[in-house]
Amino acid sequence: MWQYEKKLQYPVNIKDPNPALAKVIISQLGGPDGELGAALRYLNQRYSAPCREVQAVLSDIGTEELSHMEMIGTILYQLTRNLSMKEIKESGFDVYFVDHTTGVYPIAASGVPFTAATFQSTGDAIADLNEDLAAEQKARVTYDNILRLADDPDVRDPIKFLRAREIVHFQRFGEAQRMVQDMLDSKNFYAFNPSFDK
Amino acid sequence: MPILNDKQKLMRQIQNCSFALTEANLYLDSHPTCPMGLEYYAKHKKEYDELMKEYAEKYGPITVGQSSTDKKWSWVTTPFPWERGES
Repeated sequence: MWQYEKKLQYPVNIKDPNPALAKVIISQLGGPDGELGAALRYLNQRYSAPCREVQAVLSDIGTEELSHMEMIGTILYQLTRNLSMKEIKESGFDVYFVDHTTGVYPIAASGVPFTAATFQSTGDAIADLNEDLAAEQKARVTYDNILRLADDPDVRDPIKFLRAREIVHFQRFGEAQRMVQDMLDSKNFYAFNPSFDK
Repeated sequence: MPILNDKQKLMRQIQNCSFALTEANLYLDSHPTCPMGLEYYAKHKKEYDELMKEYAEKYGPITVGQSSTDKKWSWVTTPFPWERGES
């Protein structure tokens, strides 16, 4: 189970609202490589992980992703405070506003609502962990692109923190993958599914 | 960096310490017998518990379990962290 802590993992304090920026950062909430998808990917894959260490890595990184989802939600909330109708129309935020006002809703920047179709849980630890390694790199690329689009230091600072976490998670998943490979036939890591074939 | 008040400074200390614990947690998941990792975790866990207690006493609960139960449920009297200046 989980317990909520009334604090952010890393501070988010944005002075200047910027709905146009919120429109692109929202992809890290509900987009194909966003934090919600990351949390659900790891927290569902963990049941079939073949050893306690990998179950722990998936549980704990999945949990951290929930705190990242909260940071992105906070960035979106603070970027869309006190907007005038003129700002909403001119920034292009009107296409989001019409359905959600300034509520936080998980969609990709392109407008596609969050979908579980962006991730897998195969029941095979080697396949899942390879997806997880790719997922961390894809999320890192999205943060790189957000940093190319965002000038405001109040926004860039927490985004840089989140970007760095993708790299640490990639490292930990690499170790988890090596651990699973060590449990397998070293001549052919892919000879059997360590979670299913006993 | 903005000028921080005492409450925000204490929250920063908690975030720093909590981050050290998160990092050590993930590292220990894949290196469960590393003596340096275990020592690092234990040291920061002690500091974290002290800081969390201090914060709850001075500024209110971070977890539901720290909420007051005499007269008023303080969980709903303190702001949530998505408000500006509250993280």
